[in-house]
Amino acid sequence: MKGKIISAIIALALVALAALGYWSAAQHRHGEAPAELDPKEIIYEHLGDEYGWALPFNHSLRIPLPIIVWADDGFHCFMSSRLTDGATYEGLRISNSEDHNGKVVQVMPDGSEKRPWDFSVTKNVAAIFVAALLVVWMVMSLRRWYARQGMKAPRRAMGLLELVVDYVYTDTIRPIMGKEAPKYAPYLLTAFFFILTMNLLGLIVIFPGGANLTGNLAVTMVMAIITFVITNFTGTREYWKEIFWPEVPVALKCPVPMMQLIEVLGLFTKPLALMIRLFANMMGGHMVVLVLMLLIFIFSAMFNYVVGGATAVFSLFFTVFMLALDTLVSFIQAYVFTILSTIFISMSHVEPHHHEA
Amino acid sequence: MELFTPEFGLVFWMFVAFLCLYFILAKFAWPFIIKSMEERADLIDKGVAYAQDAKRQLDNAKSEADKLIAEARNQQADILREASKIKNQIVEDARSEAAAEAKKVSEAAMVSIEQARKESEKQLRQEVGEIALQIAEKVIRREVANDKAQQQLVEQYLSEVKTNN
Repeated sequence: MKGKIISAIIALALVALAALGYWSAAQHRHGEAPAELDPKEIIYEHLGDEYGWALPFNHSLRIPLPIIVWADDGFHCFMSSRLTDGATYEGLRISNSEDHNGKVVQVMPDGSEKRPWDFSVTKNVAAIFVAALLVVWMVMSLRRWYARQGMKAPRRAMGLLELVVDYVYTDTIRPIMGKEAPKYAPYLLTAFFFILTMNLLGLIVIFPGGANLTGNLAVTMVMAIITFVITNFTGTREYWKEIFWPEVPVALKCPVPMMQLIEVLGLFTKPLALMIRLFANMMGGHMVVLVLMLLIFIFSAMFNYVVGGATAVFSLFFTVFMLALDTLVSFIQAYVFTILSTIFISMSHVEPHHHEA
Repeated sequence: MELFTPEFGLVFWMFVAFLCLYFILAKFAWPFIIKSMEERADLIDKGVAYAQDAKRQLDNAKSEADKLIAEARNQQADILREASKIKNQIVEDARSEAAAEAKKVSEAAMVSIEQARKESEKQLRQEVGEIALQIAEKVIRREVANDKAQQQLVEQYLSEVKTNN
């Protein structure tokens, strides 16, 4: 009974928020300059990065974040609120140009723009910190449980967390890596929980979440590079031998190093696939949700508010469905990244006797 | 396009954040968590094995106890049978022994009776002889005196003998 009342209140609040958002969007468009609806720009704005973190249901108020750049004249460090609405501060401004759209640039004496080394804590960087802190908090609380309760089985949230750790470690990493598992488990488990947290945070549309982290190539690239480095720097002699002198007919490898070429390409396609898979899956999910939402405004603009309203029902239904699917995808992709990293690392640890079998 | 060109700052901070996260968790959390989880799994495995063992032992103990009881019953029956056999034996023995003893006693009695009889016969013979001698003596004495008187005397002595005996 209590649960039903709470659900009804939440549903009403959601409908009210949706109506408010729709009304505010309509107000905005009836304002001074009815701007042309540009779905592409809106989508890229939402998927991309920005200086400052927008507060929910508000287009103008942002949480300022530090801008740190290494320009020609040295370090600059100030809050992003100084650069709102195209303001220039210490010779820096947020560019509108085609090349550096939305990025901090240095205004040169001749009026041209130059991109400095940008270490700014943008929305994405801040979201990475939030995700990292969340992971530390989660994992440390599980550790605290074991330190305090010893052999007692974890309950509630700790039980769920332990279930996931157990699934990733005992059922995935250990069967694949065998006795090497404890050595690489810290990296793989950290990667799993970090990616999972970033994925799920990305699905929460308002403040602490909402940053499209794993749908950003920079983030997935870092993860893939770390796996690549571990794979190749811990590889055994046998692993390198199989790349540069694989056991195939000599004609395939001697005058023309065909097999070697394929193997070396394979070195790079593996982490590349890791990077693209995670990026495309997460970005795709976000994009579909954005497009479904934009459909409301596109149809409103094309026909009238009645059609827009009907589309809203349709879009909301599919958005909820997509978000549920994305939750699933968040888990699957974090898991796939982990299991593939595990396989790549263990594949680089081949031993000769293993090969002869 | 921004989405497809990794931003330098983001890559930098991602590296920093991930490496910090990795070193914190790899140093303080994961090994401990994994160790604890494995220890608990071992403990549970051991507990299950122990319980199974205990159950098996309990089952064994039950069947063993049943066996022991059955054996004890058999032994009891054996002992009882043995005891009754011994009892019969003892009774039998006692009976035959008693019979032998009685026979011996009666034989001894018989011998002593015979002896007594022989003794008394001898005595009687002696006494009768003596008496006869005395009578003869007296008779002879009377003969000498009086016939009639002699007769009387014999009579008298005979009666004397009668009363004496």
